[in-house]
Amino acid sequence: MGVRLGRLKLANPVLVASGTFGYIRELAAYVPLDRLGGLIPKTITPRPRAGNPTPRTVETPCGLLNAIGLDNDGIDHFIAHHLPYLRTIRTAVIANIAGEDEDQFVAMAERLSAEPGLAALELNISCPNVTHGLDLGVDPTIVRRLVGRVRRASDLPIIAKLTPNVTDVTVIAAAAAEGGADAVSLVNTFKGMAVDWRRRRPILANDIGGLSGPAIKPLALRMVWEVQRALPNLPIIGIGGIWTADDAMEFLVAGASAIQVGTATFADPGAAGRLLEQLPAKIAELHVSRVSDLVGTLRSNREPDPVPPSVEPSRRIS
Amino acid sequence: MAQDTYRIRLEAPGLAARIRPGQFVMVRPTLGLDPLLGRPFALYEVVRGEGGEPWAIDLAYLVMGRGTARLAGARSGDRLPLWGPLGNGFGLPRAGVRRVAMVAGGIGQTPFVALARWWMGQERYGLGPQPGEPWVEAVRLYYGVRTAGYLAGLEDFEAAGVEVRLATNDGSAGYRGYVTELLERDLESGWRPDHLVGCGPEPMLRALQGVAGRLGLSCDLSLENHMACGFGACFSCVAPIRAEDGTVDLKRVCVEGPVFDAARVEWESGEAARGL
Ligand SMILES: Cc1cc2nc3c(=O)[nH]c(=O)nc-3n(C[C@H](O)[C@H](O)[C@H](O)COP(=O)(O)OP(=O)(O)OC[C@H]3O[C@@H](n4cnc5c(N)ncnc54)[C@H](O)[C@@H]3O)c2cc1C
Ligand SMILES: Cc1cc2nc3c(=O)[nH]c(=O)nc-3n(C[C@H](O)[C@H](O)[C@H](O)COP(=O)(O)O)c2cc1C
Ligand code: FES
Repeated sequence: MGVRLGRLKLANPVLVASGTFGYIRELAAYVPLDRLGGLIPKTITPRPRAGNPTPRTVETPCGLLNAIGLDNDGIDHFIAHHLPYLRTIRTAVIANIAGEDEDQFVAMAERLSAEPGLAALELNISCPNVTHGLDLGVDPTIVRRLVGRVRRASDLPIIAKLTPNVTDVTVIAAAAAEGGADAVSLVNTFKGMAVDWRRRRPILANDIGGLSGPAIKPLALRMVWEVQRALPNLPIIGIGGIWTADDAMEFLVAGASAIQVGTATFADPGAAGRLLEQLPAKIAELHVSRVSDLVGTLRSNREPDPVPPSVEPSRRIS
Repeated sequence: MAQDTYRIRLEAPGLAARIRPGQFVMVRPTLGLDPLLGRPFALYEVVRGEGGEPWAIDLAYLVMGRGTARLAGARSGDRLPLWGPLGNGFGLPRAGVRRVAMVAGGIGQTPFVALARWWMGQERYGLGPQPGEPWVEAVRLYYGVRTAGYLAGLEDFEAAGVEVRLATNDGSAGYRGYVTELLERDLESGWRPDHLVGCGPEPMLRALQGVAGRLGLSCDLSLENHMACGFGACFSCVAPIRAEDGTVDLKRVCVEGPVFDAARVEWESGEAARGL
C-alpha cells in the first residue's frame, strides 16, 4: 500500500484533508490515526486569524458550502501547542500553510523546516475565502516563483494545493511542477453561494464560500485526469467528495497517487479509517500488488483497448 | 409530542451509559448522502432496561427543515448514523444551589427534563442505576412558546416534580408575552432561585443574560449554533466568549460548549450583529 510522491513516502495513499480534520486530536476517538497514510491539520497562517463571521457553513444538495476564513491561532501557537502532539502520532504529518504574500509563505516554510516531526509542507494557495490566497494560486507566474522560493527555503517535500477556480488547471499545475513541487493536491473547494430569497440575502455571512462534498467529485475527477494527462510525471493527490474506497479507486486510476478524505469526515467521523480498511480488497480486484500499478491507468474511451483482441483466438489456433 | 414535535428513541447502549444532561448527539437522518450532515440534538432522556442498564436515548425535536422532516419519517427498526456524547453538558450544580429556574424558549426545553431529574437526584446519568443524593431541592421551568400547540413534554416535567410556568406569545396558555418577562415578574414578587439555566433562541438568551446580570444570579446558557460536525473539526459553530482576563475569543460551541457561563457569552458574531 506504500506510495511515493516525489521525495515524500507514505505508508498508504489515504490522507485527510486540511480544514476537515481539525488539529487531528479531535478525531483521535474515531479514527486509528497512526494507520492513515498522512495527516494534514487545518491551515496555519503567520499570525492568528479570527476567520469569518457566522454562518460559516451551509449544507447544499450532496454538498457543503463553507467560508470559515482560515480561523486559526497562527504559526507560533501551532508550533507550541499542536506540533508536540502531532509528533507523537506515528505517521506522516503534513503542515498546510497559507501566507498573504510570497514572503510570508517562505518565512513559514523556513520556520517549520527547522522543527522536527513534519513529513512535508502543503501550500494552500487556493483558499476561496481569503482574497490573497486565491489571487496567488490563479497566476502561473506567481505559482512558479512561489513554489520555487519555498522549495529553496525548505528541505521538506513541497505539495502545492491548487484551486479549481481557474479556466485551465493544467497551466497552474505545470507552473507548480516547474517551481519544483513534489506533488500537487487537486482540488480545493469550488466557489459558490447559497441564497435565501425571502430575505434576499446570501446565507453565508461571507456571501460566497467554497463547495465541497460528493457534489464536486465529478469535477475533481475530471481535473485530476486532465493534469495526469498533461503532466504524467507530476504526482497528484486527489481530493473532492471522496467518501468510500470506491471513490478512492476512481481517483487512483484517474491519476492520483494518493487521496484526501475531506467533508466525509464531518458526516461520518470514522470515514477515513473505514475507507482505508476497505481499500486493499478493491485494489486486489484489479489484480495488482502495488498502488502505483493502478495510478493513472484509466484509458479514454477513444483509445483502443490495451489488450489486443487477437490474443485469445490466437491461442485456440495453436 | 406536540405540533411538529416528535420524540425518537435510539438504541445506543454505550452512549446511553455515558451521556449527561446538556450534552448532545449528532444524528444523520439517512444512510445516504442527502441530507449530507448530521444534526445536533440534546439528550432528552436516557432509557434503562429492566435490569437498570441504560440501552437507549430519547431525543425530542421540532421539525425545522429537511433533516428534521426526514427524521420524522424514520420508522421503527431503521438504522441511523449517530455520534456522541458531544459537548460539555451542564455539570453538577454549583455549591449552595438549592432552587433553580430553567428557562426554555420553544424546543430549547429539550435538555431540561434530564437536567432537572439529575439535579434532583432521580437519575444519575452515567454514574449507575441507583438514584443519587438530591443536589437541588426545587426546580421551576419557565417555558415559552409561540402558541399552546407547541407545548411539549409537560407531563415529563410534572412527573419529575418540576413546577412549570408557561408563557405564550398569543396568550393561548399561561402568561401572554415573553417567558423572560414572566420570570422577571415572579422575581419581583419575591420568588428567588439561586441559579438560572437557559436554552432557546438568541433573543431569549440575551434577555435572560440581562436578568441574571441585573439580579447578580449565576446563569448558564446552552447555545444552539449551526454545526456541521459536532466534534470540533470544522469551526462552523464558533461563538465569541470572554475569557477571565477579559479577552474575547471565538470558541467552538460543540466542544467548549454548548453550555457557557452567561457572564462570558458575547453576541457580536455575524448572526447576531447582522440581525439574522
Ligand atoms: C447543541 C444543540 C442541541 C440541539 N438540540 C435540539 C433538540 O434537542 N431538539 C431540536 O428540535 N433541535 C435541537 N437543536 C437544533 C437542531 O439541531 C436544528 O433544528 C436542526 O439541525 C435543523 O435541521 P433541519 O435539517 O431540519 O433544518 P435545516 O434548516 O434544513 O438545516 C440545515 C443545516 O443547518 C443546521 N441547523 C439549522 N438550524 C440549526 C440550529 N438551530 N442549531 C444548529 N444547527 C442548525 C442543520 O444542522 C443543518 O446542517 C439543537 C442544536 C444544537 C446546536
Ligand atoms: C469546512 C472546510 C474547511 C476547509 N478548510 C481548509 C483549509 O483550512 N485549508 C485547505 O487547504 N483546505 C481547506 N478545505 C478544503 C478541503 O481540504 C478539501 O480540499 C475540499 O473540501 C474538497 O474535498 P472534499 O469534497 O472531500 O471535502 C476546507 C474544506 C471545508 C469543507
Ligand atoms: S460543529 Fe464542527 S467544529 Fe463545532
